[in-house]
Amino acid sequence: MIQILYIDPGGGSYLIQVIIAAILGVAFYFKTGWNWVKSFFVKKQSEKSEEANDSGV
Amino acid sequence: MTQAFNRNPASFRDPAGFVFEKDGTIYRYISKSYKKQYLHLTESGLLNLLNKRQLLLPFTVASHIEHDSDCYAIIQPRPIPFLNYAWEWSFEQLRDAALTTLQICLTALEHQMILKDATHLNVQIIDGRAQFIDTLSFDFYKEGNEWIAYRQFCECFLNPLLLASYCGLEVHKMLRAWPEGIPAAITSSLLPFRSKLKLSVLLHVHLQAKVSSRKANATNENKKKHLSSAQLKNILLHLISCIEKLKYPEQTSIWSNYYKETILSQDYLLNKKEIISKWLSETNYKSAIDYGANNGEFSALCSKESFIVAADFDSRCIDELYVNLKNKSERNILPLILDLSQPSPSTGWNNEEHKTFLSRKKFDLGFALALIHHLSIGKNIPLKMIASLFADSVNQLIIEFVPKSDPKVADMLHHREDIFNDYTKEEFENEFSNYFVIFKKEIISGSERTLYFMNKRA
Repeated sequence: MIQILYIDPGGGSYLIQVIIAAILGVAFYFKTGWNWVKSFFVKKQSEKSEEANDSGV
Repeated sequence: MTQAFNRNPASFRDPAGFVFEKDGTIYRYISKSYKKQYLHLTESGLLNLLNKRQLLLPFTVASHIEHDSDCYAIIQPRPIPFLNYAWEWSFEQLRDAALTTLQICLTALEHQMILKDATHLNVQIIDGRAQFIDTLSFDFYKEGNEWIAYRQFCECFLNPLLLASYCGLEVHKMLRAWPEGIPAAITSSLLPFRSKLKLSVLLHVHLQAKVSSRKANATNENKKKHLSSAQLKNILLHLISCIEKLKYPEQTSIWSNYYKETILSQDYLLNKKEIISKWLSETNYKSAIDYGANNGEFSALCSKESFIVAADFDSRCIDELYVNLKNKSERNILPLILDLSQPSPSTGWNNEEHKTFLSRKKFDLGFALALIHHLSIGKNIPLKMIASLFADSVNQLIIEFVPKSDPKVADMLHHREDIFNDYTKEEFENEFSNYFVIFKKEIISGSERTLYFMNKRA
C-alpha cells in the first residue's frame, strides 16, 4: 500500500478507466438487447390491447 | 517577475496562472504557457456554451491591469459574495458541485478539451447553484488518453456522496476530515455489502480500490490499450447517472420541523417576525448572516437586494433550505453549515489556503435568534465571549434573549446542575453593552423572550 503514496494522484486511473469502459460497453450491449426484447413484448401487449379495443367496438 | 502581484495564498499550485487581489478586486493572471489552452477555450465556442449553461463563473478581460513579460492575459471573474467550501456544504450542494464538474468535463470533451483537475475547491455555490470557478483547469484532450482527474473526482465527490447515501454520514464532516477527498480503499471498506450489487459502486469504488492497491508498475501494463473519446464520454455519463440517482436517506433531525412542531406558539412566531420585519425596514444593510438559520424563515425577511448567509449546524436543515431556495429561484440566500462552537478552521499550506469561516467577511447585520441559550447553557460559553465573537463578525445585531424561565431552557437544565448564575437578562445586557449599543428592545408576545437590536460600539 505504501508504494501507491508515491504515484502521481492522477496515475493509476488509466487501467481502471479502461476496465470500466469495457464493462460499460458490454453492459450497454446487453441493455440495448434487453430493451429490444422488452420493446417487442410491450409492442405485442399494446397491439393486443388495441385488438381488444377494436373487438370491443 | 510575478512577485509584484498580491497573490491569493491558495493560488500557487498551477503554473498556468494564479489569482491575485488589487485594490480590493480579484483578478486571475494567465501566463504565456497557458496561452494555447486559453485561446482554444475562448475561441472554440466552449466558453460561450459554458456561460450559456451557467456552469462557469463569468469573467471579463481586464486589459487595464499592467502585465509582466510572462503574462498572456489578466481576467476579472465576477466577484464571489462569500467563499464557501465543501466542508460547509450539505449533500445536495455537493451533488450539484459534482454534476457541474461532470457537465463541464463532458462539454469540454465535445470541444477537444478536458478538465485536468476535479477537486471540490474548483466549485463555489453562487446565486443558488454550483458554479465552476477555475478557468485554468481546461487542458487539451488527446484521443486515446484517460481522464487524468478521474480518481480525484471520485475521491472528492463520488465517494463522500456514496458514503452519505449508503451510511447516512454527513458530507461536510467527511470532507473536513479528508479535505483532499476520501480514497477508494477507505470508501470500499466503509460501504455496506449491498453496495457491491450496484454496478456503478462496484466499478467506481470497489473495483477501483482493488486496482489502485496493485503495485505501481502494474498500472503501466495496459498503457498500450486505447480509451476512445466515446468510451470516456460513457464513463462521464455513467457517473452523472449514478450521482443523479443517489438518495440521501430520510432522517428527521430534532431541528428539521422546528417551526412546525417545536416552536413555542404561532403567536410568538408571528410577533417575532413582525418585530424583525419592522426593524429591518428601518435600517440599511447590504449583507447579513443568520446564525442558527434553521429553515431560513427569518433570513427570508431580509431585503431581496441584500446578500444573506443562512448558517446552521444542522446539515439536514441546510439541505432542505438549499433545495427550497433552488426551487423558488431565490438567489440572494446562501445556506451553509456552521457550528458556531466549532467553525471551519483555516487549513491548507501554512494555514493560509482556506480561511476560517468567521474571518472571511464582516457582515453589516447579524441574526442570533433563539440561539444564545444553546451556546451559553448547551455549550458553557460565557456571555462575554459570545458578545465578543458577534462584535468581531457584524456591525449590527438582532439577538433574542431566552431566559431561564423559558420552557426550552428549563428542559435543558432539567437533567443537569444549574451552574449558570450569570445567565440573566441583566447580565446579558451588561456584557453585550461592552461591545454594542442597545437601541431597541421588545418582549415577544406569547413568550418571556426579548428581542434586542444593537449597533457595534465605534
